[in-house]
Amino acid sequence: MGEVLLQGFGQAAAPSSLLATAIGSVLGIVVGMIPGMTISTGIIIVLPLTFVLDPSVSIALLLGLYVGGMLGGSFAAIMLNIPGTPSAAATAIDGHPMVARGEAGRALGVAVLASFIGGLFSALCLFLIAPRLADIALGFRAPDLFSLVLLGLTVICSFAAKSWIKGLLSALIGLAIVSIGQDPVMGTARFTFGSADLLSGINFLTALIGLFAIPQLIDNLGRAGPDAHMSVAPTSFGRLIPTWADIRRIRVPVAIGSVVGTFLGILPGAGGPIAAFLSYDYARKASKEPETFGHGAVEGVAAPESANNAVTGGALVPMMTLGIPGDPVTAILVGALLIHGLAPGPLLFIERPDFAYGVIFSFFWANIFNLIIALAGLRMLVKLIAMPKTILMPAIAILCVVGAYSLRNSVFDIYVMLFFGLLGLGMRWLEMPVVPLLLALVLGRQLEENLRVALTGSQGDISVFFTSPFSVLFLSLAAVSVVWSIVSSRRSAKGAR
Amino acid sequence: MTGRVAMIARNTVFGFLLTLLAPLALAQFPERPIELVIPFDAGGGADIEGRLLAEGMSRVLGVPVVSVNKPGAGGAVAYTYVKNARPDGYTVSWNSTSLLTMSNLGNVDFEYDALDHVGRVEFQPMVFAVPANARWDDLASFAAECAAAPNTLKIANSGTGSATHLGALSLMSALGCEVVHLPAGTRRRNATVLSGEADAMLAPLTGAINLVKARRFRLLATLSSERNAVIPDVPTATELGYDAVFELFRGLSVPNGTPEAVKIVLADAMTQAAGSEAFMKLARQVGFTVDTMPAAAFDALMSAEDAKVKAIMVGAGLMSSGTVGR
Repeated sequence: MGEVLLQGFGQAAAPSSLLATAIGSVLGIVVGMIPGMTISTGIIIVLPLTFVLDPSVSIALLLGLYVGGMLGGSFAAIMLNIPGTPSAAATAIDGHPMVARGEAGRALGVAVLASFIGGLFSALCLFLIAPRLADIALGFRAPDLFSLVLLGLTVICSFAAKSWIKGLLSALIGLAIVSIGQDPVMGTARFTFGSADLLSGINFLTALIGLFAIPQLIDNLGRAGPDAHMSVAPTSFGRLIPTWADIRRIRVPVAIGSVVGTFLGILPGAGGPIAAFLSYDYARKASKEPETFGHGAVEGVAAPESANNAVTGGALVPMMTLGIPGDPVTAILVGALLIHGLAPGPLLFIERPDFAYGVIFSFFWANIFNLIIALAGLRMLVKLIAMPKTILMPAIAILCVVGAYSLRNSVFDIYVMLFFGLLGLGMRWLEMPVVPLLLALVLGRQLEENLRVALTGSQGDISVFFTSPFSVLFLSLAAVSVVWSIVSSRRSAKGAR
Repeated sequence: MTGRVAMIARNTVFGFLLTLLAPLALAQFPERPIELVIPFDAGGGADIEGRLLAEGMSRVLGVPVVSVNKPGAGGAVAYTYVKNARPDGYTVSWNSTSLLTMSNLGNVDFEYDALDHVGRVEFQPMVFAVPANARWDDLASFAAECAAAPNTLKIANSGTGSATHLGALSLMSALGCEVVHLPAGTRRRNATVLSGEADAMLAPLTGAINLVKARRFRLLATLSSERNAVIPDVPTATELGYDAVFELFRGLSVPNGTPEAVKIVLADAMTQAAGSEAFMKLARQVGFTVDTMPAAAFDALMSAEDAKVKAIMVGAGLMSSGTVGR
């Protein structure tokens, strides 16, 4: 055990890994900061470059980007009142009024510190929970896994959508697309029309590039006029390092944010935005002067900031231990690991414990670098918010095509990517969430495989799903999440009337 | 007499010119980078071994041999791509037993002979693994329990019709066993046995070796023709009196109609690269056997293996005997 920990530590602390973490963190902050670019887009663009790197180095880079992106998104939210990422929206509520008051440095400093503590707390949880959860998950059999994946999908549908019917539809489209290709159990062809390209199925990373990047590019197309250069108002921030008085004030909000963020991160589908708003709300309720919230309260910056960074460590728990990603970024991380021949899941902790712990330690480093880089380079980095879109967006468009091709060296996949771009635009027009579709693409195969392997093992007897305690637990939770989302959507519909 | 001298002189000059020209004709290949198509994802066994071979070959040939992964559908994507490529030797496929399993599953409209084969590079065994704490000490005790209670023991494989499934079918028929075959998939195969859901599995040695070293699996037998140097204590099934040999080969293929001279150049580079110290070292690490085989012998081997795959598949009802020889 100790030896494995040491190896993992060594892997994460190797100069190449540390450098990659630092570069990832800088890239993440920049990507997160630029409005119109999400962390997913950033990771998609960097992904093909990581194919040539050692797996430990490439995962270090991607983790740095993930953590950095969460913080960068908040910089834009605070400075411009435009959240760079959806998770940063709650930060803008109190962050931007502080800037208007001339306290830009104070707001940014508190955001950086709160992010660091939230991230570090979730890293600690990851370190303590993941190996134990992996141990338990080793005992999961096909019926349990089927029920778990089903739970994941229902939770995502109920969280991701305002309308659970649209969420469910989106997931069903994803499941239908997954059935294209070779039957995972019998090996026979389905919906392939004799094409060898379709026989290999739709790669979810290809789909993801189209679903996320193309609608974003189209969005930016409209905004890339001559005034595309955004002006960053203040040039002087004042003191960046938070004062002792501020640190005392944000103690409770940061604690709330860290716990809420980590917990919601572990739940698939909830993700950053919900965690940030929820902990903002809790922090306001816990505050002695709730009336200051919304008018530039440091607590209002600290709570969502610690929460959205705590989500990152939480989201890595199910990804590492069960191979089940909870959001687009962890879905990409699963894909990135698979490309290197490392399947995330409970076996990773037995077959390659050095690597699994290496990932956890790299995540620690990512948070540390984030703090250092943000504090040291903030003044310079913030200027990048004004990067002209006319240069940025064409470059992203090219990188999307390159990325789609290089995943499997297939020209066919470029068309698949463009198809999913159109699908993403259509779904946006219908106000249908794309995240359930994406996760159905990631999880659909596991859902089918486990269902059929379970039934093969039981020779067609469906009672296996109701005799294993794990399976029963997951199925009841799935039922609860569906009922809960139906009830709450009815209630909000009534409220609107 | 003079005519004769003149003729000899003429022939000598002609012959001399020919010997000059012969290497020139060959020197035309290769003059640009060669694409080595790997039918599986980066990071897997096929990829690691193929890439190392490509490096060795580019050193011999003096042009880059670029490894390109075209994964998907059990190799069907890559083999289809190479089959349709121009037969000039610049598109080469890193092949494996998957060429036979993929084509016999019937998802593509061609058979293994739709490609020309350059030669075999290596072969590796499949192993029969049980959890470390399993109640069977050897293959015979497994066979005894299985005979006493047919259709209760479960054996995991990487997917219906995959080499691991065929290996399991052939071993079980040699044992006289009726079992439930669980098509767990490559990613879940090992975990299915560790969780106790399946009682045993068939896996390529390279896919099980990490867990054997971690003392989670025990190997009861290998399906190879002789014992493997990486696992010298594990008996072969044949040794134990069960006639089941199923080895996984890897080699090179090119599109049909590639010139003979080009194939010879490729085969020579392949043989040299396979014999390199780096490749041998990898073989010792992960447990495959480097044993190069020229085209003719490889063709004969593949034809025999293809017949074996067909026989197992027909026996298991995966393929109707009517489609054999299609």
